[in-house]
Amino acid sequence: MGVPDASGDLSSEMEVDAFRRLFPLRYFERHLSESIRPDARPLGRARDTTLALGAVASAHGSALAKIGSTTMLAAIKMEVMTPSTESPEEGSIAIDFHMPPICSPIVRPGRPAEAAPVISKQLSDTISSSGMINLKELSLVSGKAAWMAYLDIYCLDADGALFDAALLSAVGAFSHLQIPIVSLNDDGKIVLVSEEDDGTKLEDEPVNKEKRKLTLSSIPFSLTCILHKNYILADPTAEEESIMETLVTVVLDSSSRLVSFYKPGGPVLAQTSAVQDCVALTRQRVKDLQDILDETISGMEID
Amino acid sequence: MASKGGAAPSTYTPARTPTNKAQRPPFFTDSDVDWTRSDGRGFHQCRSAFFRTGAVNSAAGSAYAEFGNTKVIVSVFGPRESKKAIMYSDKGRLNCNVSYTTFATTVHGQGSDNKEFSTMLHKALEGAVMLETFPKTTVDVFALVLESGGSDLPVVISCASLALADAGIMMYDLVAGVSVSCLGRNLIIDPILEEESFQDGSLMITCMPSHYEVTQLTITGEWSTANLNEAMQLCLDACSKLAKIMRSCLKDAASPSKD
Repeated sequence: MGVPDASGDLSSEMEVDAFRRLFPLRYFERHLSESIRPDARPLGRARDTTLALGAVASAHGSALAKIGSTTMLAAIKMEVMTPSTESPEEGSIAIDFHMPPICSPIVRPGRPAEAAPVISKQLSDTISSSGMINLKELSLVSGKAAWMAYLDIYCLDADGALFDAALLSAVGAFSHLQIPIVSLNDDGKIVLVSEEDDGTKLEDEPVNKEKRKLTLSSIPFSLTCILHKNYILADPTAEEESIMETLVTVVLDSSSRLVSFYKPGGPVLAQTSAVQDCVALTRQRVKDLQDILDETISGMEID
Repeated sequence: MASKGGAAPSTYTPARTPTNKAQRPPFFTDSDVDWTRSDGRGFHQCRSAFFRTGAVNSAAGSAYAEFGNTKVIVSVFGPRESKKAIMYSDKGRLNCNVSYTTFATTVHGQGSDNKEFSTMLHKALEGAVMLETFPKTTVDVFALVLESGGSDLPVVISCASLALADAGIMMYDLVAGVSVSCLGRNLIIDPILEEESFQDGSLMITCMPSHYEVTQLTITGEWSTANLNEAMQLCLDACSKLAKIMRSCLKDAASPSKD
């Protein structure tokens, strides 16, 4: 900013790109006052969202979610564990969110992004408290063996609203999950039953023949908004998140019940009306996301 | 949930019943054997290659490569300021990192940095990049193997050179990498994971086909001289074909923006 008389008039003379870099906040506020964002979206609209199931063949369930250019790849691997004594009939879910160095210029190898463990925790809290998955369905032999579902989500491209995309990919991976058929052998170990032999020469009965899919009830969906002055911007990009720092993430389930609400500080204090507006925007978004999920699943069944 | 018990309970992947275990193909002393590869390819036939540039928007350049089940993303950042306190250099630095996702392999939780591949990637690209065009700065090449399906390193190297080209980093030529496995007297090109697990020896060449220059050549295991010569020729031929596919991918990406 070496120009001494950097005043308001400068904006008309300067090239748009230079203005955007030098005065990012003013650049955005000029757009907001016209009720439009630099990527031509109205304030309350989310970016184009796609979901694809079965992206990773080496996993038992996987999904690739894209919101704008934010891309998340989620995959579930099922392993067997001995259930804890206090809940012998329940399996378990371990969720991990990764931001590898490929996803953003900020992340470098050996120095993991600060955001990753935060989102990791938010995701496991949201998924466990939404009651989407009944952990009893992950049980194999009561007290002896149960499934441990390792859900790993990788951010392939970070361009804002990471939690929303991560949650969508997690939901996608769970709805794509095909639990392998297994049986209990004489040593008390769980072994895979290959699908070809159809139980003809099997000495051990499969223990989970009917339990290949999880029943997902009350699926959580989320929307992140930016609060800036009196504006509410839905589904921010990385650039918007870096300039305007007050974020609000609302998670609702498919029947519009509030699962969780995050407002991790920030310079703008949320008015009650702003909170209500965020929830209203999320309610609209949940319908769209539910449609996207339903369409993706029915698309898979046709194939 | 997982966090309840404090330490994570020890888990295991249910094993296949031993009867269906993948066996090394029946052994052969002749070079003509009646054995087909599990994916139906001929011994000297590569998997069909798919490349796409611009996979990651936040990177300066990026590429996605898919060879059968081997799926790789490479992002390139920079040239940017060298972060580490390093000696002054008129040349630029190339910083490479290869990591695996936790679900890339059949066993869960092996995903992490692969130091060996990182060095190999660096050595394979170093000779092709015009380091003097970005003095005092660093270009970062980060690769993530989304799914490992065999011949991971050559795919990472080819994909990385494409990502560098996408980022506009000056190179003498694209680097294409191909590996060959030796099984008894037979040579199989572009091996999948299962074939790599029972190979006697392996050879990988990364080269710049238009220059006819090799940037990296690794040979491991047991080889006869005749086999070695044949394998190198096979690799070089496959590299030049691969480079054509990579080049057409770059052209495709560039052409729509013109009109």
